[in-house]
Amino acid sequence: MSRLYGDPIEVWVRDGHPAQFVWRDRLYTVREIQDHWVVAREWWKTSDADPGERRFWRVGAAAGKEVGTYELRFDTASGGWLLLRAWD
Amino acid sequence: MTHAFAHLHVASAFSLRYGTAFPAALVRRAAEHGMDTLALTDRDGLYGAVKHVIACHEQGVRPVVGVDLALDGASATPGSSGPGSSTPDDLFGGGLPSGRTPRGRHSGHGHGRGTAADPARVVVLAHSDGWASLCRLVTAAHQAGERGAPYVTPGMVAEHATGPDGGPRLTVLLGPRSGVGRAVAERRDDQARALLAAWRAVVPDLVVEVSDLYGYRDANTAARMIGLADSMGVPVVLTNAVRYLDAADHQVGNVLDAARKLVPLDGRHLDDPTAHAYLKDGAEMARVAARICGGDTGRAERLLAETRRVAGRCVLDPVEIAPLLDPERPRLHLPEVGEDPVPLLRRRCEEGLARRGLERSAEARDRLAAELHVIEKKRLSGYFTSVAGITDMIRAMGVRCAIRGSGAGSLVNYLIGIGEVNPIEHGLLMERFLSEGRKGLPDIDIDVESARRLDCYRAILDRYGEDRVACVSMMETYRARSAIRDVGAAMGLPPHEIDVIAKAFPQVRARQIRAALSDLPELRDSGLNDRSLETVFRLAERLDGLPRHIALHPCGVLIGNSTLRDRTPVERSLLEFPMSQFDKDDVEEAGLLKLDVLGVRMQSALAYALQEVERVENRKIDLDAVPRDDRETYDMIRRSRTIGCFQIESPGQRELVAKLEPRTMHDLIVDISLFRPGPVNSDMVTPYLETRHGFREARYPHESLRDALRETNGVVVFHEQVMKVIDVMTGSGLSEADRARRALGTPEGREAVRAWFVPLARENGYAHDVVERAWKVLDAFGGFGFCKAHAAAFALPTYQSAWLKRHHTAAFLAGVLTHDPGMYPSRVILDEARQCGVDVLPLDVNRSGKTWLVERTGPAEGGPGEFGRGYGLRVPFSAVRGVSGAEVDRMVAGRPYTSLADFWERARPSRPVAERIVEVGGFDALHGLRPGEPRWRPGRLTRRDLIAQVGALDRGSPAGAEGQLPMGFTEHVMPGELPEMTEAEAVEAELEILGMDVSHHVMDFYRDLLDAIGVTRARDLLRQRNGAEILVAGVKVATQTPAVRSGQRVIFTTLDDSTGPIDLTFFESVQAHTAATVFGSWLLMARGVVRRTGGRAVSLRAVHCWNLADLDRVWRTQGLDAVRALISEVPVPGAGVGGRPIEYGNGFRVSPYSDNGAPPAVREGRFLGQPSAPQRRLWHASSGSSGPPPGR
Repeated sequence: MSRLYGDPIEVWVRDGHPAQFVWRDRLYTVREIQDHWVVAREWWKTSDADPGERRFWRVGAAAGKEVGTYELRFDTASGGWLLLRAWD
Repeated sequence: MTHAFAHLHVASAFSLRYGTAFPAALVRRAAEHGMDTLALTDRDGLYGAVKHVIACHEQGVRPVVGVDLALDGASATPGSSGPGSSTPDDLFGGGLPSGRTPRGRHSGHGHGRGTAADPARVVVLAHSDGWASLCRLVTAAHQAGERGAPYVTPGMVAEHATGPDGGPRLTVLLGPRSGVGRAVAERRDDQARALLAAWRAVVPDLVVEVSDLYGYRDANTAARMIGLADSMGVPVVLTNAVRYLDAADHQVGNVLDAARKLVPLDGRHLDDPTAHAYLKDGAEMARVAARICGGDTGRAERLLAETRRVAGRCVLDPVEIAPLLDPERPRLHLPEVGEDPVPLLRRRCEEGLARRGLERSAEARDRLAAELHVIEKKRLSGYFTSVAGITDMIRAMGVRCAIRGSGAGSLVNYLIGIGEVNPIEHGLLMERFLSEGRKGLPDIDIDVESARRLDCYRAILDRYGEDRVACVSMMETYRARSAIRDVGAAMGLPPHEIDVIAKAFPQVRARQIRAALSDLPELRDSGLNDRSLETVFRLAERLDGLPRHIALHPCGVLIGNSTLRDRTPVERSLLEFPMSQFDKDDVEEAGLLKLDVLGVRMQSALAYALQEVERVENRKIDLDAVPRDDRETYDMIRRSRTIGCFQIESPGQRELVAKLEPRTMHDLIVDISLFRPGPVNSDMVTPYLETRHGFREARYPHESLRDALRETNGVVVFHEQVMKVIDVMTGSGLSEADRARRALGTPEGREAVRAWFVPLARENGYAHDVVERAWKVLDAFGGFGFCKAHAAAFALPTYQSAWLKRHHTAAFLAGVLTHDPGMYPSRVILDEARQCGVDVLPLDVNRSGKTWLVERTGPAEGGPGEFGRGYGLRVPFSAVRGVSGAEVDRMVAGRPYTSLADFWERARPSRPVAERIVEVGGFDALHGLRPGEPRWRPGRLTRRDLIAQVGALDRGSPAGAEGQLPMGFTEHVMPGELPEMTEAEAVEAELEILGMDVSHHVMDFYRDLLDAIGVTRARDLLRQRNGAEILVAGVKVATQTPAVRSGQRVIFTTLDDSTGPIDLTFFESVQAHTAATVFGSWLLMARGVVRRTGGRAVSLRAVHCWNLADLDRVWRTQGLDAVRALISEVPVPGAGVGGRPIEYGNGFRVSPYSDNGAPPAVREGRFLGQPSAPQRRLWHASSGSSGPPPGR
């Protein structure tokens, strides 16, 4: 079962993909990129001329031995990362 | 270069309301990316194909052309291909999801590729030898589908996919939007496999197309499609389903998606949830390939290699598609004539010499020999005989037909009866029309009666057959108003608000929207500058110039041979004419011959007038045989009484003819040529008029140029004169001179011509200062001026219309009112009729007809200028708002009527129409009614009583069985029970229902106010001294914002106060406080300074203006002093019109809001495409003028 979180996280990026992130004070290392997709923002609902896009990654990552699946989101306009959901 | 990526799936802006980039921009970008091949696969057609091929040719890119077509949903259901028949489509039976079958929606991320309403699509590319097959497939798709919704079945694709030799002609790409792609995405793998197998069975060159736009699951679906294809041995190619040039075009794409689907913007309705469908470069595409193949570099390599391989076999030869790219010997596709066209044309010219009485003219014989030499060398004899055959046929149908444009300069055209203008008589040159050095094909343009234009098309179609003939199309593009409408709807604004906003803008380009908002005083204060509309305007600007829908070109007809359908795809126009998907430029590039058959309303008006003369006076007039030197006609023109006449009725032209005082056809030709933005800009008018009237001596740069320039007193007015000057001074021949003339249009071209002209003229012995003087003339002329042949062709109907107006005034104006050929609305024409002494007769159910009829009303004697006395014009049934054609026919057929009840029973009008006819007095004569005082008339019938009776009749009619009721079985209405209408109410009703004031002039109701404040009337204007400041008032007749020399936007307004026209000029300095009123009101009072512009011409420089209706209200409620106080207020000076003037190469500047658009005739053609929508147009506004401002 997945849980929704939406927590702001800090992410290290390598070759355009997330490599490591810190969530709830634990450092996770990305083992595998399972999926990556992009969604353009619904710009017509905002007053910004270009609200940018949101980039999603579904990754296999582990803080210790146990590998879990996590969904990360990067917002190009704000430059911030969120951890959206986790299967662990 | 051999390893460069090739985009095989690319939509340009010619994918209507889908693509965002033009072919040339896409090709340029591909070249920048180092790509050597680029495809264009627009949705539903090949609209951009020729432009793509030409752009590729210029950039050295190899063109591939294909089409992105919808699949028929029905073909997926069993049995749809007909009982008993076994077609390839049967293989696709069994409910396979090739089309509109309901599908599950994605949940969660909720941005599935399209919705259930979206049909599946395939991309079809032409092989190098498959252009004809592609054209025919596209034609078939349009034949199968509804207009605007073409589709194919797999069977149709299969039918075109192989050539007669069995070899493949088309490559079919099954991508993510195909049935196969959708089945894979939805994990219905068996279905996907079956469908792919079915396709493979019928199409020899089948490939699977994968793409990844970084949407949710895109890469996954692509990977599984590769898996499926590999397992079945079907090749796979990679595309990017391109629809943008840059990722930033994505928002425009979203708006287009919403506009196309007629829904507000919402994530559910978007075709692409990401911004990745742009023309990516090779490195980016390699990354996409790697992503899809999940790091299997070998597979990714194979994917890219297969893409290049497919591209390679689909490369087209540009010259094959666009023969004109080969300047030496373009392969033209001329019509078949049946016999050898060369002797045929010679014979017809010989006959023509005899018929026109030119057998003995050596000049004519020499000229003919020279023309035939060029025509035969270009192998165009067949074209001329075909066109002559068509004009003969049109005349035999009894349709008026005239040549227009440069074609009038050809003696051959005159001899074989295509045109009626003798080029030798007017000094017209063949080289302006057709010459050896001229690239491209000659254009013969003919004008026919607008009301019969489509009959002419049908006759041409019948004669040559649908296989050989097609109409030319044109793309309607987004302009300010249409862009605001579509964006507003996408953003979910209420429709009535969108309407108000859109109409507030003048007809400007979409990209000028925000500039117009800050530049134009009437918009600046309109409240549209609101921040909430900022996004709407910003996006609307980005739609600028994108094609919006395809329409029938107003005049172009393609006349080809039996291979026409191999060279151009054909769809159906709104009126079911076969229509090429190419526009007029594409058609020419494709080496196809076109004939312009333009519907001209004035020709219909002339034909109607002649018919009325014949009906009323039993006289048959041969208009072409009327002497062209009638003194009375020219007198009328010189007194500016030209409203209604062809080409010379606008306020500016009325001023010009008064100054120019034409006395001959040649004067009319000069007049028409002078009244153009070019000559007005470069101020050719003043020197011409000065020498014409002898204030100044004609000057010539050199004695040898006297011949060429004498006809216009040394001023260069015509293209032909520029050619002659260049020819005389360089000795290069007229054909070369025409090439130089055309180069004068651009600054670079002028430099090049100068570098060529000056030394050559010096070599020929012309002195330095002579050459400089001559060059100055050519340089000032720029690319402006007018083709004299064109003006000569125009001058004929101009003269004919003026002659008819002078001698058969009522009949002529009946023609004008019926066919609406000019700029003025009916009420202005009616007013002109009154001024000419013609009686305006109200609607009468027993006398009115379907169209305007002439009646004799008395002896033909009148005061000065009342040359129409003795005749009346009867308002027709068709003028009543909302009346249907069938109703009109019944009303006319049922005459005479004995009562309202009789009319109701036999003509069976709808209730509102019957009421309107009563309101405007249609029964006054029959029932002895008369609006006005006294209003209460006990025992005597009134119009209002009759309206009540219409209600009673309507209630008495049993539903569904109109008119079945026995007479007298209706409620009894007491005569005099209701009060009569006042005269003002009657006129109000006339304006509302007929769009014109019939019984009284509107201004009659303001007479007391005007007298009270001392307003000057039009008939007294000539008595005002120059510089006097006076008040005038009237109904607005026209507002125009033409191109003027200063670079300002100047508003010219004409008012009519029932004694004549008053011309007002609003300069930018007063527009801050006047523009909104001028554009927004119908009845105006203005203060202005008298400016005498000629012996009989007076105009006013406006200082201030007011809405007369408002002043009238103030007068009635607060008294005269309140009005006086209002009109003596000093306006607060405000900012004028902003915006940078457009600067022409020769240094002349015009305002970006001036209306320097198409020549009037072109505009005339445009609304013929739309059947007559009822318009209550009360004044003329040029396209540079704003509409009424929104309510504040």
